[in-house]
Amino acid sequence: MPPEAAEPPRGRTRRPVLAHVVGQNIGLILAVAILSASIVIFAAMFVVQQDRLPGSFEITSTVNNTMPLALAAIGQTIVVLTRGIDLSVGGVIDLTNALAAIFLTGGVWHMAVVSVLIVLAGGVAGLINGLIVGFGRLQPIVVTLATLSILQGLAIRVLPTPGGSIPAGYTAFLVNTNAPTALCFLALAALGWMGFRRSRLGVDVFAIGNDEQAAIALGVKALRTKIIAYTIGGMLYAVAGLFLAASATGGDATTGDDYTLTSIVAVVLGGVNLFGGRGSAVGAICGAFITTMIVNILFFAHINPLYQSFYEGLFLVIAVVFGALIGRLVRGGR
Amino acid sequence: MKRLSLSPDALRVLAAYGAAVLLFVIGAFVHPGFASFGSITSILLVATFVGLVAAGQCFVVLVGGIDLSVPWVLNAAAILLATSSLGQDSRAAYAVVLTLGMGLVAGFANGVGVVWLGVPAVVMTLAMNGIIEGLALGLTGGMTCGACASYAPPVIAASVHDVWLGVPAALWLWLVVILIVSFVLGLTRFGRITYAIGNNPRAAYLAGINVSLTTVCLYGLSGLFSALAGILLVGFGGQASLGMGTPYLFQSIAAVVIGGVSILGGRGNYLGAAAGAVSLTALVSVLLALNMPDYGRSIIYGVVILALLLLYGRDQRE
Repeated sequence: MPPEAAEPPRGRTRRPVLAHVVGQNIGLILAVAILSASIVIFAAMFVVQQDRLPGSFEITSTVNNTMPLALAAIGQTIVVLTRGIDLSVGGVIDLTNALAAIFLTGGVWHMAVVSVLIVLAGGVAGLINGLIVGFGRLQPIVVTLATLSILQGLAIRVLPTPGGSIPAGYTAFLVNTNAPTALCFLALAALGWMGFRRSRLGVDVFAIGNDEQAAIALGVKALRTKIIAYTIGGMLYAVAGLFLAASATGGDATTGDDYTLTSIVAVVLGGVNLFGGRGSAVGAICGAFITTMIVNILFFAHINPLYQSFYEGLFLVIAVVFGALIGRLVRGGR
Repeated sequence: MKRLSLSPDALRVLAAYGAAVLLFVIGAFVHPGFASFGSITSILLVATFVGLVAAGQCFVVLVGGIDLSVPWVLNAAAILLATSSLGQDSRAAYAVVLTLGMGLVAGFANGVGVVWLGVPAVVMTLAMNGIIEGLALGLTGGMTCGACASYAPPVIAASVHDVWLGVPAALWLWLVVILIVSFVLGLTRFGRITYAIGNNPRAAYLAGINVSLTTVCLYGLSGLFSALAGILLVGFGGQASLGMGTPYLFQSIAAVVIGGVSILGGRGNYLGAAAGAVSLTALVSVLLALNMPDYGRSIIYGVVILALLLLYGRDQRE
């Protein structure tokens, strides 16, 4: 036996467990690192300018502002994991936001039922995306571009001019302005993700994203899994629409438009791989908070707000380039 | 499906032209005079702007990319043309060169990001859109600068509106662009390389093609065409305004897709995309003639695109 024959197995076990874990979760780790850095920078700027640490008010408003984006980003993550992309996010948020502004009235039970129906409406929109992408075997980017247009039209049909109102109790429940209680919802979402990740569905979603043909060969029902992924995405965008309506205490059939692009930004910053198969809800939530923190930092740096998108764009490119670079360094040993 | 001797790609292009003709016929029924010569040329003139942006989008989509930076490259081009020419004919040539250069540089930057920095096309061009939006807004103080209110130089306005042989000049320009782009894609080495990369970048690389450089050039061309559309739009409307580029992202992608260009790359041509631009504009015009409100147009727009996609856009690679 030549000595090198025994080499490969030993080479495999040589890799320490920690390095393996870091390599597998490098996207998430980077997202957490960027978020921590941006929070520290923000806090430092705040202390310099206000002579105190950011208090309950600042934290609460940051959390509440980020809620819709965080939820939309989790939905986008599930779709992106299947190697898809969903541009209809903005349309679903527009529509559900408009529906919320009109139908959210009356007592607690009525509002609860309406909320559930609105979430289901988002689910139907996602289901349609999924059905067309799945059965039509069409590219997600063009399908969801078309449904985006349809949903935007429907939203304006439902609520032609900004208006309507959200009961104060509803706003207080979702986006309490006195304390960052909305974080509880994110914790719930993260818990839900842990369940999802370990469920048959979650495993299938990741499998499709990594290698669809191999997944199908192993018995994964790719079509059904994709349809479910888009449907869950649609429901999460609808929840984002409800949070948006609650924090604006009214409806506007166009405020959701931005979320199509910002949800993709949040997903990318959160370490979710746009080519599928890698990512997590916690990453997406981090990505959403990074997006908000950048705006806060630019504000405290007294950057002319007109230049805001310039710095955001620049930051996005730099973050992605360095993320890829560090990822390659960490995984480089392989 | 080999019932016809035509290739599926040619069928798609024919379908796009058929859709355009059908829409004009429907328009003539619902609104007398819709298919008159004057009405057709004015619809085609509006389609020109979409068509020019779609030319750039077509190049990028053919290699499996996408350019989301269209809205603000176009808008910044419009603003730059107005502010650098100050409405004077003597400065028009300089302004046009400067503006096209800006578009080219923005496009090249996209290409460099996608190819050499390894940023996904969606993210890179999205970020570029933001970068240019911020620069355009910041440098003009939100369009409050003195030069921002400048009108397009008369010579540029004339190059859009002037009628040659009964047809607006911009349409002739588009025709030239259609011929050049079709020639480049169909009959030159550059075109062959583009399709090769779109079909299989790895195989193209192994065949000795400079994939990186070609891709960067294609993104550069996309920026160039967005800027050209911006210049003509200022000439068409007289002034630059904020948000004027926004509709063109959706429309350029829709035109390319309706025209039978595969979003995965490697299949389709600009003749189809141009037909897609005409069909889209004709569709909007028909809906306007029907007094369809905004929301209805938006819905029908989406439904028609989905219908066309389902009709012939099936992903045949599976």
